[in-house]
Amino acid sequence: MKILSVSACLLASVAYAGVVAVAHAADTPVDVRKSIMQSVGAAAGLGGGMMKGEVTYSPAAGKAAIATMNAAAHTFGAYFPEGSDQGDTTAAPAIWSDAAGFEAELIKFSSAASAAAAAAGKDGPADLDAFKASFGPVLGTCKACHEGYRVKK
Amino acid sequence: MNKLAIGLAVIALAGAAASWVLTGPNPLSLEDVAALPAGEAQQGEIVFWAAGCASCHAAPGAKGEDKLVLAGGLRLTTPFGTFVAPNVSSHGEDGIGNWSAQDFANAMLRGVSPDGGHYYPAFPYASYVRMTGQDVSDLFEFMKTLPAVAGAAPGHELAFPFSIRRGLGFWKWMNVSDDPVVSAPENAAGIDTNAWQLGRYLVEGAGHCGECHTPRDSLGGLDKSRWLAGAPAAAGDGRVPGLDPSSDLGNWSAADIAYYLESGFTPEYDSVGGEMVSVQENMARLPASYRQAIAIYLKTLPAAAAD
Repeated sequence: MKILSVSACLLASVAYAGVVAVAHAADTPVDVRKSIMQSVGAAAGLGGGMMKGEVTYSPAAGKAAIATMNAAAHTFGAYFPEGSDQGDTTAAPAIWSDAAGFEAELIKFSSAASAAAAAAGKDGPADLDAFKASFGPVLGTCKACHEGYRVKK
Repeated sequence: MNKLAIGLAVIALAGAAASWVLTGPNPLSLEDVAALPAGEAQQGEIVFWAAGCASCHAAPGAKGEDKLVLAGGLRLTTPFGTFVAPNVSSHGEDGIGNWSAQDFANAMLRGVSPDGGHYYPAFPYASYVRMTGQDVSDLFEFMKTLPAVAGAAPGHELAFPFSIRRGLGFWKWMNVSDDPVVSAPENAAGIDTNAWQLGRYLVEGAGHCGECHTPRDSLGGLDKSRWLAGAPAAAGDGRVPGLDPSSDLGNWSAADIAYYLESGFTPEYDSVGGEMVSVQENMARLPASYRQAIAIYLKTLPAAAAD
């Protein structure tokens, strides 16, 4: 039950992220991309917790974690317009000075997430090994991007 | 009058001579060199990752096998000027291919180059000085097996007076010691002493964690009263987090620290970022017992002095 409710929350948060972009146009790009990245963090927490054995694996939870990553990976990059490097953000100047490099990292993220979503199918990865095989590569893209495109606080 | 002038001249000469001696390089003695054990390349690979050589001497952002291509060229922009990591590949002319074991040990343990000059402490010999002769010999044997890459990296770009290498003798006299920083673990009850000692060796010596995580004084020496308390980044912007119990890491368990070093994920599943990515990838190549030892050492650090 607990896992189901966690999954439901994650799915809801992804749906919400989509709504935010449309309904609250007054939200700044910084706010939007941060909320998307928070959903990524929550999905990583759920998926990573299952991979570590701290959370019991279920296909529905596995699917929720992958779906969250997939939705985020395909929307996140749209919220870095020129001039959104100011304010309460850890976005590195390299995002704009090396836009092609940042784009390449985003493509790695979305490609891994798309592949995981395709492998998850209707019911989610059947067991933990199947989940690790598709979610591991998604997690692997985090630090490659954070290495060059996020600054220390 | 004449006697006074002569007296002053003698004092000035003595002062100059003393400072000349004080600033001179201090290579290993013949006994130290004779006592260096023979190295073993396979063991040296572990030392290579523990010591983080690739993080500065491989190409910035290098992944996988490219981390073994030690052509140098990374630029560290600091308040003292810009340091450029040299080529330490096995190339004879441009790298360290023509070095002897003695040359290598002098570089690692004394910060002295084969021609007898001082290295700048951007090369972290102030930490490596705590390494064992065995580890240094093993590392040298391993590095000889790595690819030879032609092409010397450009020189450092430093402003006066930091451009005078001789002055580093004084800096070393003030800042370089092979004494451990932490003499004993805090709240030692129940901890594995051997693991703690390995952790101390890795953090204070080969791993040179203090070089970024400890604040520096105006001349660039580490403020050991604030050991691992976090510091402004020496190169670039931002702040390097503290590792002592009163810092950002205070809420992490030893298992959290070991998992972070292995996987690159914090307990909240944020990922490692910035320069630490390269460091974490080095740590991930060590035996699990090494990462656990580092965690044990960090969890039993004394709280650092206040800012």
